[in-house]
Amino acid sequence: MSTDYALLFRALLPEALLTATALLVIGLDLAWGPGRSRGSRLQMAVGAGLLGLVAAALVVWQDGSQGTVWAGNLRLDLLAVAVRLGVLGLAALSLLGLTGARASDQPAEYVGLALLATVGFLQMAVAQNLLLAFLALELASLSLYVLAGYDRGRPESAEAALKYFLQGGVSAALLLFGFSLLYGITGRIDLTGISVALAAHSDASLGAVAVGMVLAAFGFKAAVAPFHPWAPDVYQGAPPMSAALIASASKLAGLAFFWRILWSGLGSLSATSSLTGGAGGGWVPVLAAMCAVSLLLGNLVALAQVSVRRLLAYSAIGHAGALGLGLLAAGEVGPGPMFYYAATYGLASVGAFACLALLERAGDGDRIEDLAGLRRRSPLIAACLAVFVLSLAGIPPLAGFFGKFVVFAAALRIDGLGHPAGWVALLAIAMSALALYYYLILLKQAWIADDARARGRVDVPPAAALGLVLAAALLLVLGAFPALLLGRF
Amino acid sequence: MSPLHLCLALSAALFCTGLVAVLIRGNAILVLLGVELMLNAANLNFLAFWRFGPGGGEAGLVFVLFSIAVAAAEAAVGMALVIAVHRHLRSIRIADANRLKG
Amino acid sequence: MLHASHLWLIPALPLLAAAVGAAAPRTARRLPVALALGAIIGSFLLSLAALAGALAAPAAKLTANFTWFWAGSTAVRLGWLLDPLGALMSVLVCGVSVLVFIFSTAYLRDDPRLGRFFTCLSLFVAAMLGLLVANSLLLLLVCWELVGLASYLLIGFWFERPAAAAAAKKAFITTRLGDLGFLLGLLWLFHATGSSLFYDGGAGVLEGGALERLAATTLPGGWTAATGIGLLLFAGAVGKSGQFPLHVWLPDAMEGPTPVSALIHAATMVAAGVFLVARVFPLMAADQGLGGVPVHALTAVAVIGSVTALLGALLAVAQTDIKRVLAYSTVSQLGYMMLAVGVGAWEAAVFHLITHACFKALLFLGSGSVIHAAHHEQDARRLGGLATRMRFTYVTFLLGTGALIGLPLVFSGFWSKEAVLHAAELWPVSHLPFLAGLAGVVLTAFYMTRLVSETFLGRARGDGAAHAHESPRAMTLSLAVLAVASVAAGWIGTPAWPWLQSQLTGAPVAAHGLGEGLGLMILSTVLVGAGIAAGGWMYAHSPRADDRAPDPLARRFPGVFAALVARLWIDEFYAATVGRLLRGAAALAAWLERWVWGGLVSLTGRVAETTGEVNRAIDEDGLNTGFDRASDGLRDAAQRYSRAQTGEVQGYLRAVVVGLAVLALLLVWGGIR
Repeated sequence: MSTDYALLFRALLPEALLTATALLVIGLDLAWGPGRSRGSRLQMAVGAGLLGLVAAALVVWQDGSQGTVWAGNLRLDLLAVAVRLGVLGLAALSLLGLTGARASDQPAEYVGLALLATVGFLQMAVAQNLLLAFLALELASLSLYVLAGYDRGRPESAEAALKYFLQGGVSAALLLFGFSLLYGITGRIDLTGISVALAAHSDASLGAVAVGMVLAAFGFKAAVAPFHPWAPDVYQGAPPMSAALIASASKLAGLAFFWRILWSGLGSLSATSSLTGGAGGGWVPVLAAMCAVSLLLGNLVALAQVSVRRLLAYSAIGHAGALGLGLLAAGEVGPGPMFYYAATYGLASVGAFACLALLERAGDGDRIEDLAGLRRRSPLIAACLAVFVLSLAGIPPLAGFFGKFVVFAAALRIDGLGHPAGWVALLAIAMSALALYYYLILLKQAWIADDARARGRVDVPPAAALGLVLAAALLLVLGAFPALLLGRF
Repeated sequence: MSPLHLCLALSAALFCTGLVAVLIRGNAILVLLGVELMLNAANLNFLAFWRFGPGGGEAGLVFVLFSIAVAAAEAAVGMALVIAVHRHLRSIRIADANRLKG
Repeated sequence: MLHASHLWLIPALPLLAAAVGAAAPRTARRLPVALALGAIIGSFLLSLAALAGALAAPAAKLTANFTWFWAGSTAVRLGWLLDPLGALMSVLVCGVSVLVFIFSTAYLRDDPRLGRFFTCLSLFVAAMLGLLVANSLLLLLVCWELVGLASYLLIGFWFERPAAAAAAKKAFITTRLGDLGFLLGLLWLFHATGSSLFYDGGAGVLEGGALERLAATTLPGGWTAATGIGLLLFAGAVGKSGQFPLHVWLPDAMEGPTPVSALIHAATMVAAGVFLVARVFPLMAADQGLGGVPVHALTAVAVIGSVTALLGALLAVAQTDIKRVLAYSTVSQLGYMMLAVGVGAWEAAVFHLITHACFKALLFLGSGSVIHAAHHEQDARRLGGLATRMRFTYVTFLLGTGALIGLPLVFSGFWSKEAVLHAAELWPVSHLPFLAGLAGVVLTAFYMTRLVSETFLGRARGDGAAHAHESPRAMTLSLAVLAVASVAAGWIGTPAWPWLQSQLTGAPVAAHGLGEGLGLMILSTVLVGAGIAAGGWMYAHSPRADDRAPDPLARRFPGVFAALVARLWIDEFYAATVGRLLRGAAALAAWLERWVWGGLVSLTGRVAETTGEVNRAIDEDGLNTGFDRASDGLRDAAQRYSRAQTGEVQGYLRAVVVGLAVLALLLVWGGIR
């Protein structure tokens, strides 16, 4: 028993480190901060937070994959390690981006909350048990609600947070209700037990309701239609680096989370059916339909946006469709393509939001026209933004292209067009051609249009510049050598 | 009707009451209450399945304890956000928070 | 001699030059230019070495493949391919690039962004060369997209001009439509064969086993997988090579600097589509021998090619902008190449590609020389009388014209076009491509005579032309080299000595002397003569008096001329069909969206509104803004959708609950246990 606890401690050491760092950041700020400028308090908090993230990443990297721990309740497989590292990296990038955002009056608490959200993400990646999963999800979500409303000066921020909270709360309630039904049907709360019991059980309606509720919660987390409406408002209203965390790390962790629940837990309900004689049924076609709607809606509505952040939000809804496709395909070909897509998409999103944060600090609005003349005002931001946007658009040789390529190839490999995922992949390909149009609008403004108001240069603090360049370089490197990630799965 | 079914019916009714409150009440605090009702309906399910269901062990009971704690934290965050909105809008009507759209 | 495993050096040199040039400070204007020139000359020498290697064993496909990454259990492999087709094209691309680079140093000497221009050109050349030596459809696609990106950057190089920015966007989006087909074809091929390598020691997609499997797989409707994939890949070629119905971007692309038009939109990139079809020819031809196949991929290629050849030549007749005449002429000539591939003579297509690259680059650079001298006047109506002022440009332009219209026996275009027409004549399926090709010959002679007469003969009709004088040495040097190539390039593939054809196919092609095709040659000579005579009679004989005088053709056939000036209303047709369709879809989408929100009550109202919407769309006639209208329609749809996001969180939640209910219903209906 004692060795078991030692193992458990070892497995949860990254979470423990981050929690300690979060407390340390807040404590340091209380002891050292009063009387100092916001800038130096922010630097202290970000510095300490980065140290904690790096330490946690080192521990994760050192330990590697260890199989299941603590009576099978935690699963530290390859995907868990990859997602944990990815989440830590994305969180670190958004902290770097924070140094280029408009300073808030309580920087230390912001960093502390971001670290606690990261703890939630780390847990989401490993939870193999409904209770742990629910707790991890709620820890992450509650931190994110507060982060979304952190800008106390802007009513939009509070409104975005409230909207995010209400939809998040409803989706959490749905998920919990779904979990309670799963517990009722199977009598278990560990995913392995659930999958064994489900395979031997039959209770049509309850199972369907439970699966529906889990899918709804997934739709909320990943912003898949029709559970997407929070996304545009939150992306627009929340402070940019909160939106970055919501768009990147939260999605990556959520994808791993639902991959475990849907495939390890509910895999036996995926496609088979006793009533319709094996044709259709299950949650796979339903998820495929959600993805298709999401792809259509996100990409189409993005065309009409005048706000850059709303445009990114709707494009994120489109991307969520593709991510869902990756999740579908993951049951057949493993989570590699899905992870690659989510990680590289997260990188591009964090980068894009970091650019927007810098512009916001310089006093710009977030209309697309406000990007005009960026090329002159800050070549660095313009160049990095181009990399992020082109990666989102899926232009080779950036990582975004290979994300799309491997996910679509995986979806088509399941059974060609004999499987709904194949058709959704075709739709996704068509939509990525459409998406190029609105991404080009962004680039056109940043690179070609001239600034009518002749605004001054945009100031880029060194840490923020480092974050931007890191993210852009990673996108280039991962695009040139996809095997760095894909080869490990 | 067995006790299990009674409990399930009650929890379903509770869930729907909460959902309806969320969907139609104009007051933000009542909407928060609706969310709490939905969470509690799920808790009732866990208890019912733990007491009458096929399961083994105390998993259901433990789950309920944790989820009550989570619900409390959620209520706290929710109230804080309602207050934040109230500071800007001087109103706790949900429909007034409609600045972000399109 | 260059080994296949070192082929990557050819594209790597310009790529390196582009990278260093991009990183160079803005003040170092000469550095990117010097780098680009050095790199392209290096690549030229390397491709000559590669050609020597390829010609040593023309039938062998020398490859160097490697595994790029593993996706699960599937290896994605890339590689390089050394064969006469790729090596010849590399030599051609490098050669033309060297000349265009030299020309550009003079043409853009005063442009403040000279360095950036050469950086983009180097990037383009790198991608183009990568495309040529790729042994993998995936790698080819990556380069293909990069080529498109570079083209986008270069068309919009003078981004201060709204027309240039719009043309760049149009080119990018239109070619993307075709690329969609390409990508689908690639995925399908990858799915069906598990490989994207062309040649892989028997396991490649263009080799026996895979081809047999693809030809044996039938889809519903009697199509084979080979046909389907072939048609999808061809769609990519249609977009890139400006084939009907996606030709609309190419003339607009002339907004770019003239050297760009010469290199990218005449000689090399637009020919990439032809190259692609020639490269995957075994796949396209895999279904040829089968009965019961409703459409052969190659038949579609031949049809599209002949339509384009004829259409491009027709549209060129009424253009007044020198570069636009040449652009439509390019469309038409690309049509000839596709036609040749379609009738099975891909080696003739490549032959024509090579000669066309030489003489069309010459013509574009010649027009650039004119535009440069006439102070950026490119409307032929305001030129004229340049023959005496710019003697050297005039003579070289005449040589290029002779090659393009195919003056017999001496000029390269005569031999390559003869090869194309000869193949079309022997095509067993239909004579229409052959006839379209012959009609195109007359029209080509006619519009080129018109262009030469208006530009160079008569009196100067504008200030620019009146004060023109010969261009600097760097420009005339390029013209001279290209003029020699335009004449001589045809001698490598005459019927008497079909060296090129036998190298390309890797099997000796029997020389059949001049006797067999003699009838055809005489016929086409007569047709060329007729075209020149008609053009000369209308334009050279009695040139316009001033720049406002109506076109002689318009005086005689006003109706026909108006139709041609309006480019046969093809752009408008797109607006009226695609744009409408999208708007209809928008109305439908809006209806669906609101139904979810508002419930059944508003259903009837919406139906009425939708019909009203459609009605109005039908009433509105005379849309005139062309292809861009399509994107506007899309934007409309988007705005309707977007309005559904009202900002009221309970509205969102209602949508969520409706969604959940639908989900649960689907799950129950699907019969989950």
